[in-house]
Amino acid sequence: MVTGSSSGRPWTFYALAAFFTLFVLFLYGPMSAIFILSFQGPNGGLTFPMNGVSFHWFAALVAQQRSGDFVGSFGRSITLAALVLVITVVISIMAGLAFRYRFRGATAVFYMAIASLIMPGLLLGLGVGLMFQFAHIPPAWFSSALGAQLTWTLPFGLLIMFAVFSRFNRAYEEAARDLGASQWQTLWHVVLPILLPGIIGVALFGFTLSYDEFPRTLIPIGSRNTLPLEIWAMTTDVTSPALYALGTLTTAVSFVVIALALTSIALIQRRRARRERDRADRREGRAAAPTAAAARVGAGSGDA
Amino acid sequence: MAQAGEIDLRNVTKRFDQTLAVDDISLTIPHGAYCCLLGPSGCGKTTILRMIAGHETPTAGDIRIGGESVAGQPPVRRGTAMMFQNYALFPHLNVLDNVAFNLKVRGVGKAERHARAREVLAQVQLDRQFAERMPAQLSGGQQQRVALSRALITKPRVLLLDEPLSALDEFLRLQMRGELRRIQRELGITFVHVTHTQLEAIAVADLVVVMDQGRIEQAASAHEIYTLPASAYVARFMGGQNVLAGTVVSVEGGVATLVDGTGARFATPVKSAAPAEGQQIACCVRRDRVEVEKLHAPSRSSGDATNVVSGAVHAIEYQGSYVKVTIDVPRSEQFVANLADHVFFATPLDIGDAVQARWATEDVHLLTGDSTQPPTGARPAPLRGRERGSRSG
Repeated sequence: MVTGSSSGRPWTFYALAAFFTLFVLFLYGPMSAIFILSFQGPNGGLTFPMNGVSFHWFAALVAQQRSGDFVGSFGRSITLAALVLVITVVISIMAGLAFRYRFRGATAVFYMAIASLIMPGLLLGLGVGLMFQFAHIPPAWFSSALGAQLTWTLPFGLLIMFAVFSRFNRAYEEAARDLGASQWQTLWHVVLPILLPGIIGVALFGFTLSYDEFPRTLIPIGSRNTLPLEIWAMTTDVTSPALYALGTLTTAVSFVVIALALTSIALIQRRRARRERDRADRREGRAAAPTAAAARVGAGSGDA
Repeated sequence: MAQAGEIDLRNVTKRFDQTLAVDDISLTIPHGAYCCLLGPSGCGKTTILRMIAGHETPTAGDIRIGGESVAGQPPVRRGTAMMFQNYALFPHLNVLDNVAFNLKVRGVGKAERHARAREVLAQVQLDRQFAERMPAQLSGGQQQRVALSRALITKPRVLLLDEPLSALDEFLRLQMRGELRRIQRELGITFVHVTHTQLEAIAVADLVVVMDQGRIEQAASAHEIYTLPASAYVARFMGGQNVLAGTVVSVEGGVATLVDGTGARFATPVKSAAPAEGQQIACCVRRDRVEVEKLHAPSRSSGDATNVVSGAVHAIEYQGSYVKVTIDVPRSEQFVANLADHVFFATPLDIGDAVQARWATEDVHLLTGDSTQPPTGARPAPLRGRERGSRSG
């Protein structure tokens, strides 16, 4: 094969690398622009160039004047996302458990759940809004918007739980039953702990889907906005880099949530592997370090 | 009065949808016995185990443990404990918490249940240092000891073991089967052990139950199963025997003579059975009771002699204390002779040699079960489903 370079890499390597670079630029370019512009100086505008560097616009956000109700909408978004998380996790686990049996109408229920993923979000939101109006219940973020968001997070949660349960070995449940555990004890002491990483995944999805949700929430939100709606409102009348500061802040919150979830999954898995060693260290380990180290070496060789 | 650990299966049948997994089985396993359920995969042995444990419900029939019907009872009430295939150790709990699980769900305090778990772990000779490990950090043999402890802490009267040794390598398997036998003796409780490995079954069991297609072919001591198989299926499945089949031409003085499709004549003691002339019967001769002689002239007809087959050596496998010689018999099943090593090496054979195998009538055993056996000869014996199972085993 003819290679075009001295390093022995084929030309396709460079072509694909260039393509990938473009892709990354495309993906992160807009976000980076907003991120950088949010640190615009007090006299700076909405576009480049930067006119100094400051935290002025972050301060302006909290001061809550012309930049809208940031603090309030942020609080509502977080609370709503937490509610969605809890409801999604509980219902998804129950549905995951139920769908392991082929109950009557299982397929119909499944397709109905999935259908709400396919339906345009705006229309779904409109439907929820209409229903509440029809029932003479005033729409609000904690009622109608919550319902609209659940139509989005529940099918996702269900699909993840399917994947999680498909890898779950039912022998664990039988073993628990064999050892005298009741149904509840089996669920609490065996099934849920084993599925915990998957459950955290569902929680993460529930939270972030809700926190970012726009189309379904737009109509049934009532009089007080969630954060994405507030940002949208701001784009129409706020003409300062405070908008960018808000974007940077909300993105940061999303990253923090994702990081928390991923670290907790990693920690659980690590703890399952490590717990023993730590304990062994503590026990033998009133002892000096060499003893603990020796125990660790012994533990390692025993695995073979 | 039945003792605590006696298991009595009465006309037990289990269907899964249209499949008949267990077909009207009756079996009594005495208290304190080590029983092996042996058969090819899909023969229903694991289903029986799971029905005794209470993880499956019989479609028909009754299961009694210690003289009482256990229908509808959960495993712990039955006094059974199961050791699962691949052990099913809880991956999120360490060894100690796995073993103590039964005590935990019964509400025993942490200090006490850990102390009891340590005692049981000592009983199965698992080193103290492993008590705090997670299952994933243990070797197969260690996991097995943990699984055994976890089952034994419930103080069962019956321990059910589903393919307990299949996840281990050869060396550990031999070690652990001895260990299981030792623990069973020590505890004096009933063990029911499911396996598809013949040697494993006869090495440990007091009672071997050979199964095929949801039925019991033979339930007897290991020695009896091996030396006096009830049917051609058992003889073939256990190995160690050559099965001979043919039509009875005469019965005289407690000896029946039969002729197979190739014209070869065999004689077999008939004991209490009374085969009639013209009846199709099968008998077997142990592989290690056969003499093999090299023929210098090309294979002559064996039609004139009794208890003789001739053919060419197909394979020679050295097994240490003996040598397994497989002979291709024209128009018939392969014949196997296990020759003591000193006998073989006195006059070594080579592949392709024309040989004659002969044996004494008193080493032949009449097979009473399975008279549906097709006569050998006329064509190479086709592999039927059940035989395939035996070869894999």
